[in-house]
Amino acid sequence: MIELFLVFLIFGSLGILLILMNKILGPRKTNPKKEKPFECGSPYLQDKVNTLPIKYYLVAVLFLLFDIEVVFFFPWAMIFREMQPKAFIIMFFYIVILLVGFVYAWKKGAFEWER
Amino acid sequence: MNSIMAAVPLLTVVVGSLFLLILEVFLNRENKSYLGYISLTFLVICGIICTSFWNKDYSYFNGSLHLDNLSIFFYIISLLTIGFVILISLKYLFLQEANHGEFFALILFALSGMMIMVSSTDLLIIFLGLELLSISSYILAGFRLKDVRSSESAIKYFLLGSFASAFLVFGMAFLFGISHSTSLLAIVQHLQSGTSFKLIGFMGLGLVLAGFGFKIALAPFHMWAPDVYEGAPTPVTTFFSIGPKAAGFAVFLRFFHIYWHSLESSQAIFWLLWVIAVLTMIIGNLAALRQTNIKRILAYSSIAHGGYLMVAVLAQDYTSLMFYLVVYLFMNIGAFSAVIALSKKNKEFLELDDYSGIGFQYPWIGALFSVFLFSLAGFPPTGGFLAKFYVFSAAVRQGLVPLVIISVLTCLVSVFYYLRIIVYMYMKEPFHTVDVYKENPALFLVMFLCVYEVFQLGINPGSILVLIRQALISLPVF
Repeated sequence: MIELFLVFLIFGSLGILLILMNKILGPRKTNPKKEKPFECGSPYLQDKVNTLPIKYYLVAVLFLLFDIEVVFFFPWAMIFREMQPKAFIIMFFYIVILLVGFVYAWKKGAFEWER
Repeated sequence: MNSIMAAVPLLTVVVGSLFLLILEVFLNRENKSYLGYISLTFLVICGIICTSFWNKDYSYFNGSLHLDNLSIFFYIISLLTIGFVILISLKYLFLQEANHGEFFALILFALSGMMIMVSSTDLLIIFLGLELLSISSYILAGFRLKDVRSSESAIKYFLLGSFASAFLVFGMAFLFGISHSTSLLAIVQHLQSGTSFKLIGFMGLGLVLAGFGFKIALAPFHMWAPDVYEGAPTPVTTFFSIGPKAAGFAVFLRFFHIYWHSLESSQAIFWLLWVIAVLTMIIGNLAALRQTNIKRILAYSSIAHGGYLMVAVLAQDYTSLMFYLVVYLFMNIGAFSAVIALSKKNKEFLELDDYSGIGFQYPWIGALFSVFLFSLAGFPPTGGFLAKFYVFSAAVRQGLVPLVIISVLTCLVSVFYYLRIIVYMYMKEPFHTVDVYKENPALFLVMFLCVYEVFQLGINPGSILVLIRQALISLPVF
């Protein structure tokens, strides 16, 4: 166990050392041309990348939210048989809270693509 | 006694916040001011239910949450904080274009997080409450969408806060690893008996302490506080300076009450806390000297007050700790509401220069602000004096004389920056005209209530001390 750890330590640090050696020992000659972003050797055409709308993030966030909330159904299904009436009440409240979030997102227009 | 009825105060707040969230999307823009009053109604209902559980000592959800007197006392502190914050933000949100209806829902979510935090002795439940509190706070900090500094403070608070939470969970994992339990009592007993895992236990405690130290802005972890406090909308800053602090110290109280009593070899943790307390007081007070922005001054002052509260934790005197928290609540809300009073449409007056001549131009605001500043500095006959007196005398009785000497010296330093604001208000000619929006009855109600309480706690603290003693009965006895 400890030998394995040492192997990782030695080779890991060796790798980091080699990368750092390049930084420390290598000569550093820069000029403005060299600092420019690489664009297949041709002169650079525009200053910055155009901004583009990211609408998909909202869908991603909502998907993540409801997906993770659904994960809690699995443990519920596992113990469902032992505590039948109580389990229904608990899941009812859980789904009500989910619905509140859903209605909120809907009314705020999170599901509308063109806005 | 285990009863589902005891969950009613918490459920009231949660249902209230969900209701406000739904109501917000169905109300049109003109009617949004109702949301504030509705949230206040929920707070009042919750307060009445809370007080009816006094001296009954319930617990619920299989004993993971307690509704003992201590919890109820901290519930009331949290409810008062949130109630005052809502009252002072009613007009502010309109004036500063931060009137998104989610404010009230979020602040009630934060309240429910605080309520979970103060009523639990289980690390996981405490973490749940802490995250509920923190996530609402991150959003609230960036509530002035058009202000760059507000967004900056939100992102800073979010990134640093998530790191602190990661440390906290890492520490909890260590503590769970050695004791196979998340209950505070079991963990402390294991730390006492187990000799082989001393280092892991120490690391776990240290990491948990770092996580909580971040939330209540103790010295090595205080860096976020001034920037976040400055950028956040002022009512939210008011909430930050009291809410997380009160909840964090409630957890400290429950934990260290067990810890000091059951562990003989707690010297390392004791000196760690000692150093943290001293650093907090010194850094908070010295850094406040150089600030010219009122919100930054009050931010550093709240860091320094965290240090005095740590002295009370070290002195193992929880009566003085809770008394200090109550007084701190009233004087800090008072001071911040005076800052909010000096604002108009889309403009807040936050620099020290703006305050020159305020005392004669707006006599009520000036006089009330002066009272709160005197109280923060610790002058008799205000509550701030008695709070400091109780904490320091308890520390002396415990034999912590060097600590008390340092605290008193830092208090002396703090007098300079508190009184400098008063000097600006009364002894300087105004630089430029400060025209504030005056029709704000809720704000003045808060200020007068706070000034009443500051004097009442300073002159006649007997009744509140009785309540605190009754609350402390519910701590486990050793």
